[in-house]
Amino acid sequence: MTMVPQGGPGLSRAGGGGSSSLYDVLELILDRGLVIDAFVRVSVVGIELIKIDARIVVASVDTYLRFAEACNRLDLESGRSAPAQLPDVVGKVVEGGSRGKTKGALGGALDAVTQSLRGRSEDEEAEEEPEEEQEEQEDELEEEAEPVRRRRPARRPVRRERK
Amino acid sequence: MTVYVYAITSRDHPCRLDGTTGVGARAAPVRVLAAGELRAVVSDIDEEIRPRRRDVAAHQAVQDRLMADGTPLPLQFGYTAPDDASVRHTLEEHAQTYRAALDRVEGCAEYNVKASREQERLLREILDDSPEARRLNDAIVAGSQDPRLPLELGRMVAAEVELRHASAASDLVRALVGPAREHVLHQPVGSEDFLNLSLLVPRDEEAALVKAHAAVARDDDKGVSVRLSGPLPPYSFVP
Repeated sequence: MTMVPQGGPGLSRAGGGGSSSLYDVLELILDRGLVIDAFVRVSVVGIELIKIDARIVVASVDTYLRFAEACNRLDLESGRSAPAQLPDVVGKVVEGGSRGKTKGALGGALDAVTQSLRGRSEDEEAEEEPEEEQEEQEDELEEEAEPVRRRRPARRPVRRERK
Repeated sequence: MTVYVYAITSRDHPCRLDGTTGVGARAAPVRVLAAGELRAVVSDIDEEIRPRRRDVAAHQAVQDRLMADGTPLPLQFGYTAPDDASVRHTLEEHAQTYRAALDRVEGCAEYNVKASREQERLLREILDDSPEARRLNDAIVAGSQDPRLPLELGRMVAAEVELRHASAASDLVRALVGPAREHVLHQPVGSEDFLNLSLLVPRDEEAALVKAHAAVARDDDKGVSVRLSGPLPPYSFVP
């Protein structure tokens, strides 16, 4: 989906599925922008998760095996095939070792952000995607993200002192 | 009272923010603090701000309003200061830095480009192009129990995926950077994305970018789609 200038500014809630475009620029809003050390950054779990999620682990045995499996599932004769999407790959990696686990768990947390941004809310009721299965997503992600932090103390975001 | 800080602008920015409300459940009015040649856009908050959709959208909506009249320096989501005085103090203390940062982005907007490729099509292409990968795949599908085969196939395919993504990414960068004053590559987010490119585009070059994007937006044969977002405040081009 494309947001192009059409007479006015406005990305976030311009018509035509604005919330998914907000999702497309989420990491810019959370992870880029001016940083002012003298100010306090509110402790926001999701921010750190996004950052970590972006480090994609490609060179691992788990990844190789998942790629091979995805290839094996292709129906090369008929052109029809079982879908071999990477989310599936990522999900399964969770079971396969500690490096994969990090990626998988955090991928899940990112999904939570996606869901929360695509879910319903009072000001954006237009979004009714049939493939959206999780109806009851919170409009925030801290609950989902919390277990990730507990399980992986090494990745725990640094909580800055407030005030 | 604690204030949430959205952006810094030059003093001559009109900051037309009437009726704009800020982050937080109370949705306090957004207001402007002046200090020397600079202004800060803030609102009062009395709670902890988290990245709820409502608040991220509110943060972005303030930026959109500002972009209508000139390019601000957008803060990263989530910054607060103890009170108005400390915001003014920071503006004064770092006036030179912010002034230079404003000059850098003046008259420009950020556009972000994300490109994805359907994995299934990519894997098909790789198996079509590589007889060795195809042979390994056929052997596994035929029932070979040799544990080395999947590993070898996977390694081969992973390398090809990386190679093809890199090559497609650099083609897109070449096709899109023309109208940009600066550009920066970010790590792709999401499982099928292979490009995350931010461009700093002069406002009078936006049409050229939109046109360049239209030429590459979809390649159905390859399963590639290229999403353009913007105009955005220059999140990727500030200190």
